[in-house]
Amino acid sequence: MGIVEVSGLCKAYPAFRLKEVSFSLEGGKITGFIGRNGAGKSTTIKAMLNLIHADSGNVSFFGMPLWGNEAAIKRRIGYSTGAVCWYPRKTIREILEVTRGFYQSWDEEACRNYRTLFGLDENKRPMDLSEGMKVKFNLLLALSHRAEVLILDEPTSGLDPFSRDELLELFGTLKERGVTILFSTHITSDLERCADSILYIRKGEIRAACPKTAFLRIHGQTEETLEEVFLRLEREARE
Amino acid sequence: MRMLLKKELRLSTLLLTWLFIGFAFMTLLPGYPILCGVFFITLGIYQSFQYAREANDVVYSVLLPVAKREVVRGKYRFVVLIELLGTALMALLTLLRMTLLRDAAVYRQNALMNANPFFLGMALVLFGLFNTVFVGGFWKTAYGIGKPFVIYTVAAFLTIGAAEALHHVPGLEALNAFGFDHLALQLALLFLGALLYAGMTYLSCRKACRDFEKIDL
Repeated sequence: MGIVEVSGLCKAYPAFRLKEVSFSLEGGKITGFIGRNGAGKSTTIKAMLNLIHADSGNVSFFGMPLWGNEAAIKRRIGYSTGAVCWYPRKTIREILEVTRGFYQSWDEEACRNYRTLFGLDENKRPMDLSEGMKVKFNLLLALSHRAEVLILDEPTSGLDPFSRDELLELFGTLKERGVTILFSTHITSDLERCADSILYIRKGEIRAACPKTAFLRIHGQTEETLEEVFLRLEREARE
Repeated sequence: MRMLLKKELRLSTLLLTWLFIGFAFMTLLPGYPILCGVFFITLGIYQSFQYAREANDVVYSVLLPVAKREVVRGKYRFVVLIELLGTALMALLTLLRMTLLRDAAVYRQNALMNANPFFLGMALVLFGLFNTVFVGGFWKTAYGIGKPFVIYTVAAFLTIGAAEALHHVPGLEALNAFGFDHLALQLALLFLGALLYAGMTYLSCRKACRDFEKIDL
């Protein structure tokens, strides 16, 4: 049984349906979540976090169903999504001061270290941050309470190559510490470098959920990179 | 829950909301519909809702380690805190008008509502209306604030108009009591207003929790 279990997750919109999405995440591994824009990655992630109301299906973390254990689960997970701007007129210090009160496991030293690593000035306001720095601020919030599971939706989008490199290194360190990471991205070269498993979604349906090596062996041709496999699979599906 | 209120006060509340509590001083205006002060206090709360929406406050709150319904309750607690502060200030000023200023000519010649316990009861009913129509309406989408505020505004001004004129209806003159006249009736009406406020707020919050569980952020 995985640290995170998703089974039969369905959500219907007028123009899109998430169809019986099921997968599990193994502890201490990085799972790359790939799929085209609109394939259902963010919908799946949002349903996993109860940000959207799934029509059916179950989500459990650490063996506990999400519904009924929301607070206990959220204390142990971290979520970051791109360059969302929280409380644009407040300073980073103010936001951190309030946020830390919600977590008994808040690690002030880790928070300070990540702030230094990301070059975030706590006197700045989110509205003054560049897109890349907003991403880093979101990551700081997700990382500072010793989360056991990190759910990252496009965490490297908008980052310069050097910051991306640092972040991937950080993910590797977190994995060594036993942190489970679900990493949704379009930048498949990042997954090439750090992912252990691949979750591939197309038109709201999970098409593959397996170790990266198995994914490349089953779907790839000789010497193909993850990106090439992904592109070919999408082209084949279109034809 | 204490942390959610702290979050509301430190991250989601505009200074304007606190300043607008000062509209409680409209209680002292002679020849003016003093219940309008309540509307302006709720307008201050509305401004914070608008700011919180632009600041992605709801999504941020839902991601914190709290159940989704607690986010709704936290917001209601913030609203109730502002409303009760406004009511407390209006109560003090009402007491001033009932005692030291009870015979002031500017108040005696007032065609509109007098500041008395009935006025405070009606103020609470208006706050209850705000919680039901606007706050409750907001949680149907956790985004839309325009439509519920327009509906609330229309309902509020109709209620204000009726309350300000009610004592002109034959037999209801006691509603406009000065000083401590008709005290038992006045206190009973205040109690009834408080009861309505508590009931409307409680039911609205319960429904908002249910509505919010169903919506997609």
